[in-house]
Amino acid sequence: MTYDIAQDQLLVVSNLTVKHRTATSATTILNDVSLNLQRGEVLGLIGESGAGKSTLGNAILGLLSADFERTSGTIRFEEMALDRIDKQQWASIRGRRIAAIFQDHTASLDPLMAIGRQLEEAILATNDKTLRHEARDIAVDLLVRVGIPDARERYHSYPHQFSGGQRQRIVIAIALAGAPDIIIADEPTSALDATVQKQILALLRELVEETGVSIILVTHDMGVISDVTDRVVVMRHGEVIEQGVTSTLLDRPQNAYTLELLAAVPRLRLSGADVKIRRASDTIGPAVQDSGAPSREVPILVAQGITKVFAVSGLGWLRNGTRKSALREVSVELARGAITGIVGESGSGKSTIGRIIAGLETANAGKLGIDGRQFEISCPGRRSGLLGEVQMIFQDPALSLNPRMSIGDTLSESIRFGSRHAHDPKRDVLSMIGRLRLARTLLARYPHQLSGGQKQRVCIARALLAGPRIIVADEPTSALDVSVQAEIVTLLKEIVTEQGISMLFISHDLALVQELCSSIYIFKDGRVEDAGPSRFIFGHSQNPYTRSLIDARPRRFTH
Amino acid sequence: MMTTIAGRLSQAFLLLLVMSVIGFAGIHSVGNPVYNIVNIETATAEDIRNATIALGLDQPLWRQYLLFMGNVVTGNFGKSYIYHLPAFGLIMSKLPATFELATTAMLIAAPCGTLLGLLAGRRQGGMLDRAILKTSVFALSIPSFWLSMMLILVGAIAMGWFPPGGRGATLSLLGQEWSFLTLDGLRHLALPAMALAIPKVALIARLARAGTIEVESQDFIRFCRAKGLSPRRILFRHTLPNISIPIVTIVGMQFGGMLAFAVVVETIFAWPGVGKLLIDSIQLLDRPVVMATLTFVAVAFVALNALVDLLYAVLDPRVRRSA
Amino acid sequence: MKADTLRALWKYPRQYRLSLSALLLAAYVLVALAAPLVVPQNPYDPLQIQAWEASSPPGTMGGGGYIYLLGTDGLGRDIVSTIAYGLRLSLLVAMTSTAIAAFIGLVLGVSAAYFGKWVDAVIMRIVDLQLSLPTILVALIAIVTLGPGVDRIILAIVIVQWATYARLARGVALSETGKPYLDAARLLRLPTWRIIFRHLLPNSIAPAITLIPIELGHAVALEATLSFLGLGVPIDKPSLGSTVANGFQYLMTGQYWISLFPGLALFALIASINFVGEDVRRRLDPRSRSHDV
Repeated sequence: MTYDIAQDQLLVVSNLTVKHRTATSATTILNDVSLNLQRGEVLGLIGESGAGKSTLGNAILGLLSADFERTSGTIRFEEMALDRIDKQQWASIRGRRIAAIFQDHTASLDPLMAIGRQLEEAILATNDKTLRHEARDIAVDLLVRVGIPDARERYHSYPHQFSGGQRQRIVIAIALAGAPDIIIADEPTSALDATVQKQILALLRELVEETGVSIILVTHDMGVISDVTDRVVVMRHGEVIEQGVTSTLLDRPQNAYTLELLAAVPRLRLSGADVKIRRASDTIGPAVQDSGAPSREVPILVAQGITKVFAVSGLGWLRNGTRKSALREVSVELARGAITGIVGESGSGKSTIGRIIAGLETANAGKLGIDGRQFEISCPGRRSGLLGEVQMIFQDPALSLNPRMSIGDTLSESIRFGSRHAHDPKRDVLSMIGRLRLARTLLARYPHQLSGGQKQRVCIARALLAGPRIIVADEPTSALDVSVQAEIVTLLKEIVTEQGISMLFISHDLALVQELCSSIYIFKDGRVEDAGPSRFIFGHSQNPYTRSLIDARPRRFTH
Repeated sequence: MMTTIAGRLSQAFLLLLVMSVIGFAGIHSVGNPVYNIVNIETATAEDIRNATIALGLDQPLWRQYLLFMGNVVTGNFGKSYIYHLPAFGLIMSKLPATFELATTAMLIAAPCGTLLGLLAGRRQGGMLDRAILKTSVFALSIPSFWLSMMLILVGAIAMGWFPPGGRGATLSLLGQEWSFLTLDGLRHLALPAMALAIPKVALIARLARAGTIEVESQDFIRFCRAKGLSPRRILFRHTLPNISIPIVTIVGMQFGGMLAFAVVVETIFAWPGVGKLLIDSIQLLDRPVVMATLTFVAVAFVALNALVDLLYAVLDPRVRRSA
Repeated sequence: MKADTLRALWKYPRQYRLSLSALLLAAYVLVALAAPLVVPQNPYDPLQIQAWEASSPPGTMGGGGYIYLLGTDGLGRDIVSTIAYGLRLSLLVAMTSTAIAAFIGLVLGVSAAYFGKWVDAVIMRIVDLQLSLPTILVALIAIVTLGPGVDRIILAIVIVQWATYARLARGVALSETGKPYLDAARLLRLPTWRIIFRHLLPNSIAPAITLIPIELGHAVALEATLSFLGLGVPIDKPSLGSTVANGFQYLMTGQYWISLFPGLALFALIASINFVGEDVRRRLDPRSRSHDV
């Protein structure tokens, strides 16, 4: 018996080319892709949107929709050519040999069926000899294995009764039902908060060690790659750019694009000594100094004891009277000419405080002063005069521009109605788009003709042209690809420095906030959990929640 | 959940009240029913005045309304000007016929429509899908009165398979007369039920198709396939329950609609139901019966909607939780 | 290459069908506009009608020197001419009421979404109630309240239809108001009218436009139904619906043509409007391809 390396190759994809056909054209989604997967390894598949990584996952599962066509190449699983087998043979593979986990844990489960039943039917479908009553015991065991507490009691609960992390655990349990050789996990953690993401990735890693299953982990997140994968394949525009052992590839990337991707990942620095944040107020602040305004120690914006209560929206007009608080006695100060950060996970109230400061929402209690002027924040911003003092940059640039207005119209509207006097609006627009490195030809175009990065630049231009002293940026980079994110972050930094603007930067990403902000507030459940200068938060804070957020970061990108 | 339904009901009844005012004022501003009661050729001015007083039409309108509402609260809609019977009792006597017709039509339409919609939606863009979609447009384009007439023309006059109208022989059950218990009654039921059902089949099929396409494009169906379930199990255990919610809504609404929309079909097939009563009463200016019928249909509709809301709770665990 | 050609051929009948229904609709409009020029008789003019020629079967040579291609009705009116003139009335009623209903519905719907609070509550409660009742019932209540007449029919159809537009426009406008570009507009302290007309309305109107052809078809059918029930247009000026109704009593005695042909014309009219409407919707909103109901 000769030892054959190929025996350990569980799955081999060779020269795969897949095209997407529409009525009028055919686009190449995957071009000449080759890779292999060994038994018991976690293979990372990384790339930005449009890289074709999800298509590759679907091709391996045989779940490509009819408008996709494999034009060449093979997919071999053990001795089987997956591209050539018929429906019946697929039935013996899907779920039993190759299983899947999808990104959206909410959408992955049938909302109308109890989770136990969904698991049970997966077990019965993938194990011919299992009887019904046995299936239940197996299902409970699986639920316990993936870390669902009180599995037997919660067997008859429905998906909506679980948290996001628990739902993803249930999805993993279902994927395990047929004891598969391969699990294809398509962005399994990108819909989850950082701390939960960490736990789910740890669970996947444990399962590999325990059961010897192989995992193909599709992701756009370098952090995920560095934490759990053994080997990694970098994809771009449907082609494999580079592949290799994870640690080697991350340390010494051979390809320029890989290098670029790695460089773009925000890194967290824990050694407080050499924090080199270019604080706008430290370097230059001509606007601040010229105006002769109160010293920079006096914050430009002071918000005190802000409380916001949402009435839980009942279906009818007879509500149960239950109310939910989004913010409880939150106090925030914004330093003049600098970027202040707010960090928190989803539901922490970080966006709500931003919208209240901008005058888009009212608060139930609290005080808000800008430059010493007090605003009545419990009445709508238009009436209190708060609206218009602060401009915002929003998360999703695709939704932030009126789709039926040209870029030029959008920008001149901002000048016309903004709070600064323009002698020559046209020239102002032109110099602004020049400053933001946008082409003049864009002015005649409409938002859908622009890329995500271009749109976000236009949004920044719109905010600046209105002439605000304060800008609230609510997750301005999280809808963008990593490489574009870096450009926008650099741009924001420059703008704040040049124009002496004060900014509130809201994000879930610790490293990003550290890179940009001089002081940081950490939000949790509608309260300020921790606050202080950036250096203190990352270097010395003993707050357990802050520590857990920092620990949830991928180790490789934390120094 | 219960408060929600109670809230909706109280809201609906408030609006029904407003509508009853408008409707009452409207109905009482059109024509003079006295002329339909007395013999215009021979009646003296005295006769007409006496008839007017007898009907209570000499009172100011607001008083007539209060009187009407006062009676409605006690379940009394007044007496028919024409039949001299209590209006409410008249409706109740016509109700079984309408109910029987609407139920038969829905028993045909709901399963047929759902099945066709599932078949079409599963292979979106395929031959079957396009055929079903196209046919449904035609079916929805036929004016129901003309469809009824053509059914009579083909089914009764040309072929002679079915009688052209009437209710046929009935049998008594639970104190009411029912056609579906006799062969002759069933033959009479066939054509009007078909006339009512055909557009509903198309409507339900289109809804089921849209639902199927939407549900099948969701991740959990893809996940079901990935976990190795058979297509048949996915279709009947996952897709069907998930599209059932909009279908139950439309079936409920359409059933209520048929209680009223049977107007046209009942008129053509001389089916002695509530709809025919309504049209006859409108034409004869029989105000108490018109008001009673409209109120009855509207209330039945609101009640039916509430029933559909309750059914949601049975079908959808997400609604059930907030109970 | 060959596959592409096949695919193009495959698509051909679908486009062909569209043009067929669009052509038919165009022909209908033309006939309606030019009715006095293209048909031999004015059925509304008693002097042109010979009572002794009542219920002549199709193909009968008439006394007026022309053949009754589709026969005559119970009063001796030429069916072809009655169809053309009835079509005129039916289209007039349907188009006018659809235009008015769309305008009112859009404005009220978008206003409800933008102003919220009690404006929204009042408008939407009426809409909800109306849409939860069957259209024919609402139309009956309206027509009973309003009385007979062509203008009343138009009003009744407007009352029935505005709610559909209002609900759709409100839904779309509401999802738009949640989008950040409207927040950005508010942050610029734009005047209310500018937010509504420059930002909100242009982005809420497209789905409502796709509704117009569908509702036009409904309006034709509704007018016909009301006229059929004797609650619509006056008897001496029959629309397509009342022409069919007039033929009903002759159906039993075998004079099928009086109701068959006008009904067929009505059916084809509604069907062509519906097919064109479906296609308009598909073109304006590619996503609706999978969601058409």
